[in-house]
Amino acid sequence: MSKTVSQSGHGVSRRAVLAGMGAAGSMAAAGTMPTPATAQTVTLRWWSPQTAPAQREAYNFQIQTFEAANPGVKVNFEATSDEGYPAQMAAAFASGQVPNVVTHLPSFAVSSYWQNGLLEPFNDVINMIGPQNFFEGANRIYEVTPGQFAGTGIGGSAANMMWLRSDLMREAGLTTPRTWDQLRAACQRLQRAPVFGAPLPYARNSMTSLIFITFVHGAGGSIFTPDLQVNVENDAFRNALEFYKSMREFCPPGATNYSWGDSLTAFVSGATATGIYTGRVLANVAQQNPRIADFISCQPYPTISTSVPHWTFNDFPSVMIPKGAPNLDVTKRFAAHLFRADGYIRQLHAAPGHVLPVLKTVYESAAYQENALIKKYAADVQIMSQQASAGHNLGWETVRHKPNTKAGQIVASHVFAEAVQRYVGANEPMAQVVSGVARRLEELMRA
Amino acid sequence: MSGNPLDKRYAVLGAMLIAPTVLIFCAVIVYPLVSALYLSLFTIFTPTLRGSFIGLGNYAYLVNSPEFWRSLWNTLLWTVCTLTLQIVFGVAAALMLHQNIVFRSLARSLILFPYFVSTVVAVLVWRWLFNDLYGVMNHLMLMAGLIKMPLDWLGSMPNAMISIILVGAWKYFPFVVIAVLARLQTIPDALYEAAKIDGAGAWSRFVDITLPQLRDVLVVVVLLRAIWDFKEFDLIYLLTGGGPIIATQTLPLMVYKDAFGLNDMGRASAVAVSMMLVMLSFMVLYLKLAGRGERESQP
Repeated sequence: MSKTVSQSGHGVSRRAVLAGMGAAGSMAAAGTMPTPATAQTVTLRWWSPQTAPAQREAYNFQIQTFEAANPGVKVNFEATSDEGYPAQMAAAFASGQVPNVVTHLPSFAVSSYWQNGLLEPFNDVINMIGPQNFFEGANRIYEVTPGQFAGTGIGGSAANMMWLRSDLMREAGLTTPRTWDQLRAACQRLQRAPVFGAPLPYARNSMTSLIFITFVHGAGGSIFTPDLQVNVENDAFRNALEFYKSMREFCPPGATNYSWGDSLTAFVSGATATGIYTGRVLANVAQQNPRIADFISCQPYPTISTSVPHWTFNDFPSVMIPKGAPNLDVTKRFAAHLFRADGYIRQLHAAPGHVLPVLKTVYESAAYQENALIKKYAADVQIMSQQASAGHNLGWETVRHKPNTKAGQIVASHVFAEAVQRYVGANEPMAQVVSGVARRLEELMRA
Repeated sequence: MSGNPLDKRYAVLGAMLIAPTVLIFCAVIVYPLVSALYLSLFTIFTPTLRGSFIGLGNYAYLVNSPEFWRSLWNTLLWTVCTLTLQIVFGVAAALMLHQNIVFRSLARSLILFPYFVSTVVAVLVWRWLFNDLYGVMNHLMLMAGLIKMPLDWLGSMPNAMISIILVGAWKYFPFVVIAVLARLQTIPDALYEAAKIDGAGAWSRFVDITLPQLRDVLVVVVLLRAIWDFKEFDLIYLLTGGGPIIATQTLPLMVYKDAFGLNDMGRASAVAVSMMLVMLSFMVLYLKLAGRGERESQP
C-alpha cells in the first residue's frame, strides 16, 4: 500500500497528489484556476543616480502624492549611479525590462539613446508641464530631431564652479582669480601644510574627462568643430593639458584617484583652499563643516585669459521615458508630476544650488526662494543659475554645435582622462598624447 | 539485444532521467558559451543587441590592440602575484591555527572575516585606509617619519598594482586557510612522531610531511583560486578603475568597458572568449604538470 500524505483518515496516495498537482498546474496555465479578486495595480519603476538621503526623502514625497492622486498605481524608486548607469541602462534595453522613468542622467546620454530609437518622444510630457513655464531655451538640447523632444531637463547644474575660502584669501591678500595664471598664483600662496591649493581630479574616470573638457573650452577651444569634426590638434587643447599639468603640484597626492565625491570632500573638509564642484558644496558644508560656512563663495572657473569667456559644464540632468516602458499614459503623467511645484521644490531644496530649477515659475516662486541656504548664499546661487543657463557639455559644446550623440561613449572611453594621465602622470610627450587622442576620437566617431 | 523491448524501455528511461541534467547543462553552460562565440563574430550595439556580421574582425582587432595585450599582462601579473600571496599567507595561517593556541576557535572564526565581508564594503574600507588626506596608512607613516608627503597608493604605478594585489591577497587568503586547515587535521600524528624520532627538525617535517600531504588540496585550491582571480572584476574596478591609464586594467575590466562604456558587445564578447581560451590553456597545462608531479612522487 502506498504511503499517504494526509493525516486524516482519508488517505491520499502520492500518485494522486502528483496527479492533482499536475491538473492544478494545467488549470492555472490555462487560466481556469479560480483566483481571488484583487484590485488591479500598476507598478512604475523610477531610476535615478541622485540618491542622497535628503533627495530620497523628496522623491518619496513625490511618489506618495502621485500614488494618492492615482489609486491603484505604485511607484518603486531604484538607485543607479553616475559611473554605473551605462551598464544598467544597456542591460535594461537589451533585456526589454526597462524602467518607466529615468531622471538625472546627463543630456548626452538622452540624445545617444534617442538616436538609437530607444526613447519615447517627450512632447506630451512637456505639454503637460507647460512649455511656457520653462526657462527660454531649456529644452533646446533635447530637440535632437526637429519638432520632437527626447526628454527634458529636471534641473540644471554648474559642475565646474570655482569654490573659494574667503578667510584664506583675505589672509593671503588675494582677490578672486580670473585667469589661469592668477589661479596658479593664488594656489601657490594658499598652499600651506596641511592645506592644498586645489582638488582637481587626475583619475581615470568621467570627472577627469569632464573637467578637462572645461579646460579646453577655457583655453578658447573645443573638442569638435560645430559640424562634429575632431578638433584637438591645436594650441587650445595643448594649453589645456599644460594648465592641467601645472596644477598638479597644488593638488593632494591622492588626486590621481579622485572622483566627484573625493574632490567635494577635499574642499568641504578644508583640506584644499579652492574647490571645483556644483552647488552641493553648500549643503555639505552646512552639514559637515559649518566652521567654514561663512567663508565660502563661488565664481565661474578661470580661463586662460580675460578675453576667453567662461564655459560652464552643465550636464543638464534629464528626465526620459525608455521605449517599451509599460503603462505609457500613467508613466507620462508621473513624469509630469515630478515637476509639480510642491514636490519639485522639495527635490531642489534637498541639495540647494546643486540641481537648479528649469522652470522659471518655480525659480521665481517664494516657496523656492524660502530656503535657508538659498537665502544665505543668494548671490552664489544666482551666479550658478546664470552659468548653468548658459552652460554646455560635450553633447552640445556651443550654440553653433550640432548635438553629439557619441558624447556618452566618448566620456565612457576615458580618452580624455587617459590623456591627462599620460601627460601629467606618465610624462609622455605632448605631441604623442594629442595625436593619440585625435586618433581615438576619430575611431569613436566612426564606430 | 537491441531488439529487446525491455532494453529499449530502459534506454528511454535512462535518457529521460538524464535529460533534466543535460537541459540544465545546456542552458547554463552551452548556451552562454555558444552565445558569446556567436556575438564575438558581430559588431553589436549593446542596448539594442543589433549589429552586423564581421567574421573574425573583432579578434583581428584584439591581436593588433596594445590595450588587449597590456590588459592580458596585467591579468596574469595580478593573478600570479595575488594567488602566490594567498597561498603563502593561507598556508602560514592554517599552520598557526592548527597549533594548540589560546582562543583558537575565536581566531579560526575571525580569520574568515575578510572572505565573508562583501567586496564593496572591503574596498570602501581599504580606500579610506589608503586615503591621502585622512587615511591611517599615510598618517602612521608620516608620524613614524617614514615619509614626508602622503603616498599615492592607488593612483600611480607601481603602487596601484601592489595595492590591488595586497588587498586581493587579504580578501581571499581565508579560502586557502579553510581548505588547508581541514586537510591538516587529517594528517596522522604518527607521521610527525616518526619523523621526530628520526631527528627531523620543524622545517624538514614541514617540507617532507606537511607539504606532500597538502599537495592534493593545494592543487585544487590553486586551480579554483586561479580561475576566480583571473576573472576578478569588482575589487579591481572599485579600487583603481583600471588606472592609472590602463596600468591595472585587467581583461574583465576591458570586457566591461567595451560592452557598456563603448556599447560594443561584439568586441567585449571577443575579449571574453579570448580570456576563456587563455584560462583554459593555463589550466590544461597546470593540470598536466600537477598530474606529472604526482606520478613522479609515487614510489
